[in-house]
Amino acid sequence: MESLDLKLLEVCSRCGACYHICPSCLNLPDYDPRAVIKDILAGKYEKWLNHKSIWQCLECHHCLEICFQRYGFENAMTAMRTVASKKGITSPQVKRGWDMFIKTGRLGEPMASARKKLNLPESAKSGAEDFKKMVKLYQEEKTAGSKE
Amino acid sequence: MKDFAIFWGCTIPARFPFLEKSTRMVLEGFDLPYRDLDGFTCCPEKSLVNNVDHGLWVLTAARNIALLDKAQVDLVSPCTGCASNLATVNSELHMNHKEKEKINNILKEVGLEFKGENKLRHLVPFFHDEVGIPKIKNKIVKPLYGMRVAIHYGCHMIRPSHALKNDDPLDPKKFDNLIRAMGAESVQYMTKLMCCGQGLDRVDQHENALHFARLKLKELKAKNVDAMVLCCPSCYLQFDNNQFLMEKEGEKFGIPILYFTELMGLAMGYKPEELGIDSHRIDANGFLEKWERLNRELTKTEEITRAMEAGFGIA
Repeated sequence: MESLDLKLLEVCSRCGACYHICPSCLNLPDYDPRAVIKDILAGKYEKWLNHKSIWQCLECHHCLEICFQRYGFENAMTAMRTVASKKGITSPQVKRGWDMFIKTGRLGEPMASARKKLNLPESAKSGAEDFKKMVKLYQEEKTAGSKE
Repeated sequence: MKDFAIFWGCTIPARFPFLEKSTRMVLEGFDLPYRDLDGFTCCPEKSLVNNVDHGLWVLTAARNIALLDKAQVDLVSPCTGCASNLATVNSELHMNHKEKEKINNILKEVGLEFKGENKLRHLVPFFHDEVGIPKIKNKIVKPLYGMRVAIHYGCHMIRPSHALKNDDPLDPKKFDNLIRAMGAESVQYMTKLMCCGQGLDRVDQHENALHFARLKLKELKAKNVDAMVLCCPSCYLQFDNNQFLMEKEGEKFGIPILYFTELMGLAMGYKPEELGIDSHRIDANGFLEKWERLNRELTKTEEITRAMEAGFGIA
């Protein structure tokens, strides 16, 4: 939540211009970002962490493009998802994706048999080893930072 | 033209290698200076990695970009997600020097440095801006005259615009121009710029994802288009695979989903099977048959015109 600019969010909670362009607002009956934002501003956002709404922002960036503050409520949804993830409240697929990302640096490995059939060249080498080394350094630094 | 690395991302090689095939064929057909670069990882996907850990999202993308700095090549990606994620991090690090310094302290340990000096582009605006319409028109041997095609831009080809600078984020034109250069009609429709909704499938909300797929497919069916064309593996998954799942349940749409490179490849004279179009779950036979028929008629018209001109002594 510390990544959010509450002053801008305060305006968001009273504006709602992006409701007319947000695909989820237009098509998903219970999706109401302003309700979430109002609760964030009131410090009562916990009740949303378990709610499907916070995962319904499609990150299409329409709100960002149309917003006169150049902010958009996408930021609030991302912050909520981060808090939920930290508490381990995510869908099974997000968890699977994350585990695979951390383990291999990718979200899927090239299909060797299909490549051969299509006469495609061998795929370029993955940077998984360097990636894992880098993640380790990053996490060490993060833990050290949080202890300070 | 400066050499460029192709950033395939995860989804195309893992799930749709035939899209890689058509992309390579088109790049080679235009004799463009592309190469495969070793060492890339996931871009990484914003809706997964950034939601969990912003710092690691930035760091991973910065490492991919640093590989370009080392090889001194530009980047072109046939995936909108990859192009948008990399460009967004690139823009963030150019504005935040403190963060850049922190990132570079870690990248140093793996022998890299983020400078962000090379262009990061999506394939479609790259073709429009750097290859250019005249060159494309010269390569077309089997035009798509008479074909009614609906373009799905894909959000991340054009947004966030401050980072991508590819096109107007709310009224894009470049993809349309390319389709018209191939001879096809770009059919305008209400939900043209709406998100595909595939993101919902990645957070276990399959029914909602189908709802979004249905919205566009229904409108396109009513508009009687011959195909939808796009250039994003995630959108492709949404409209090809999810359309297939809905058809299995009895909802018929019958809209073939073609990749930008497949449509271009067809117009350049490659065979549908060579391009891998027979690997689609929704078959493109209706599209191909109509196109063959129109081309036959076109050849006939041309023959008549030639004969008439010869008869009148104009030629």
